[in-house]
Amino acid sequence: MNSLKSLETTFIEAFDKDLGLLPSDTADVWTASRRQAIRSFADAGFPKRKSEAYKYTPVTKWMSEPPALQSSKPVSALHLPFSALEGVHLKTVNGQLSSPPDHLPTGLTISTLRAALETHPELVRGHLDRLSSGSAGDAFSTLAAAFAPDGLFIHVAKGTVLDAPIYIHHASVSPDALVQPRMLVTAAENSEAFVVEHLPETGAGAVFENRIVDVNVARRARLRHLVVYERGSQARFVNSLHAHQLDESVFSTNNITLGGALVRNNLHVVPDGEHCETHLNGLYIAQGGSHVDNHTLVDHVKPNCFSNELFKGIVEGGSTGVFNGKVMVRQDAQKINAYQSSKSIVLDDTSHVYAKPELEIYADDVRCSHGATTGELDDDALFYLRSRGIPPRQARVILLEAFARDVVELIPLDEVRTYLNTRIGELLAD
Amino acid sequence: MLDIKNLHASIEEDGTPILKGLNLSVKPGEVHAIMGPNGSGKSTLASVLAGRDGYEVTEGSVSFEGHDLLEMEADERAREGLFLAFQYPVELPGVSMSNFLKHAVNSTREHQGKDPLSATDFLALMRENAALVDLDPALKARSVNEGFSGGEKKRNEIFQLAMLSPRLAILDETDSGLDIDALRVVSAGVNKLRQPDRSFVVITHYQRLLEYIVPDVVHVLLDGRIVQSGGKELAIDLEEKGYDWLREETGVPA
Ligand SMILES: Nc1ncnc2c1ncn2[C@@H]1O[C@H](COP(=O)(O)OP(=O)(O)OP(=O)(O)O)[C@@H](O)[C@H]1O
Ligand SMILES: [Mg+2]
Repeated sequence: MNSLKSLETTFIEAFDKDLGLLPSDTADVWTASRRQAIRSFADAGFPKRKSEAYKYTPVTKWMSEPPALQSSKPVSALHLPFSALEGVHLKTVNGQLSSPPDHLPTGLTISTLRAALETHPELVRGHLDRLSSGSAGDAFSTLAAAFAPDGLFIHVAKGTVLDAPIYIHHASVSPDALVQPRMLVTAAENSEAFVVEHLPETGAGAVFENRIVDVNVARRARLRHLVVYERGSQARFVNSLHAHQLDESVFSTNNITLGGALVRNNLHVVPDGEHCETHLNGLYIAQGGSHVDNHTLVDHVKPNCFSNELFKGIVEGGSTGVFNGKVMVRQDAQKINAYQSSKSIVLDDTSHVYAKPELEIYADDVRCSHGATTGELDDDALFYLRSRGIPPRQARVILLEAFARDVVELIPLDEVRTYLNTRIGELLAD
Repeated sequence: MLDIKNLHASIEEDGTPILKGLNLSVKPGEVHAIMGPNGSGKSTLASVLAGRDGYEVTEGSVSFEGHDLLEMEADERAREGLFLAFQYPVELPGVSMSNFLKHAVNSTREHQGKDPLSATDFLALMRENAALVDLDPALKARSVNEGFSGGEKKRNEIFQLAMLSPRLAILDETDSGLDIDALRVVSAGVNKLRQPDRSFVVITHYQRLLEYIVPDVVHVLLDGRIVQSGGKELAIDLEEKGYDWLREETGVPA
């Protein structure tokens, strides 16, 4: 077991050793920003043992086997079930854009972040500054900001409505490496897009992905986001998403976690405009001693907004699920409707769920509700199925699939839903 | 078909005895009615026969088509041809009627060494049986029992009965919650399902149902035992006189 301090030192030294040699030319905004990020990381350090936010998922747990900072060979082609679906398809290798599509719909820009620094400096600069200063996100985010050699940039221009999704296949990763990707998605005024990310099964190997996804949704833009995480049973994943919304925009993110040993979804949305609509959803299946932690924050700073949150989890086989969902309604944010619901099923005595919904309300004219339930499979329902001749294992799968369905049904893509329902059925039948 | 001998069963949790030496024998093709006051153990009998957890059989035996019923798991009993129409059907949110029935029908078929039904045959079977109890076709597209009215739930039980073609069907107060027209429809459905090799145990509080589904034998269950059996006239007697005279005769306290 490594102490936090020595882990921090490991990262800082690794940065200095490999990246300290980067040009000191301050005109290189990217490099300067990375240097700033490692300084912020050094100042703040990893969340401490007593940190409330990491109470159920201590950092030492993540780092009990420190990942290799040097990436070896990426694993070869993973199965990409969505690759034939209609839409724009991107692939990443170790988090870096590998094959930019040659034909893009008008109004859609896809490039590396460094390239975007030249083409869309006004959009990228803010993103770099926020993260490297440590003012957004926790130590994992600043760490990723320091180490990411480059990033992915997706921009949907003003008024552009994309009919088909943008699929990002995180297709290849080094089996034992720490991969720290970053991504920026900006949807300009009145644009509409759907970004689907898939992190497919990697088999053995303790790949550790620590990533940052930044999202800006401009006035009247509508952005949908789906993440399907299916990495192998030793994989680790810190998924830090920061979304910023302006007036009358709609943003939804749905996070489906079906794999991994340790997963932490940090989902942080700021509806920073009036009449915004925000949907935060998630489904996780934690099996075989895995640990899945969903940490969400909706920070209502402006009035007349709506937010809704639904997280569901199925936990078994010595696994742990955590849901910590906070809804903050600031003093000026009147007439907010904010709803949150977390439901989990714990299938055996060796598994646990910690659910902590939090409402922090400083405005007086708001409608908020939250509910968290944790339970077992309903015995009456199981008996009803069995009384019709259905064997217990099958009955169990039918009920669990039904439980998960609410979240899967929210995905407006038939093929993706079908794929997920099948995968969920397979996972639960095993 | 069904042979229950000296059945004693108690609540597993606290050991409270509910069934206290119950005897019942049902031959193929027969319809037996069981009546009895609230809390006398009718649903407990149905639960014990269907294999619900939470009850402990402390004495006695149950043989079903020559097998020891009590040795079988609940789902095995169903696949062997035992069906229980629930007094309180369970809602299964998110489980579609068709998915549910497909699993149910095919589990039994597999057990009988038959191939699963093709999609077309299955749909045809659904259509035919839904018509039998006049089940609104829209209900087939919904989640099992979710948001069904009381009467719709009861129809749905008989619809499932028809889908599964059991050897023995136990109907636990299928008539309660049905309006007069629905009672007629559901009874007619049950009557159509009567066959020389299919038996019914009909639990009810009302003689009215037995005018539609005419029983071969009527039993009175009182305090965990069958204390009186007779023809369908017995039901009429009970309707008039209640249960007190039987309590007095058998020495069961009210
Ligand atoms: N699982 C259980 N736990 C506790 N008590 C039970 C349970 N099942 C049955 N009982 C009790 O056993 C007794 C018989 O109940 P049962 O449901 O069999 O009666 P019933 O004859 O079906 O009555 P009704 O006409 O009201 O449906 C009642 O006192 C009931 O409370
Ligand atoms: Mg009853």
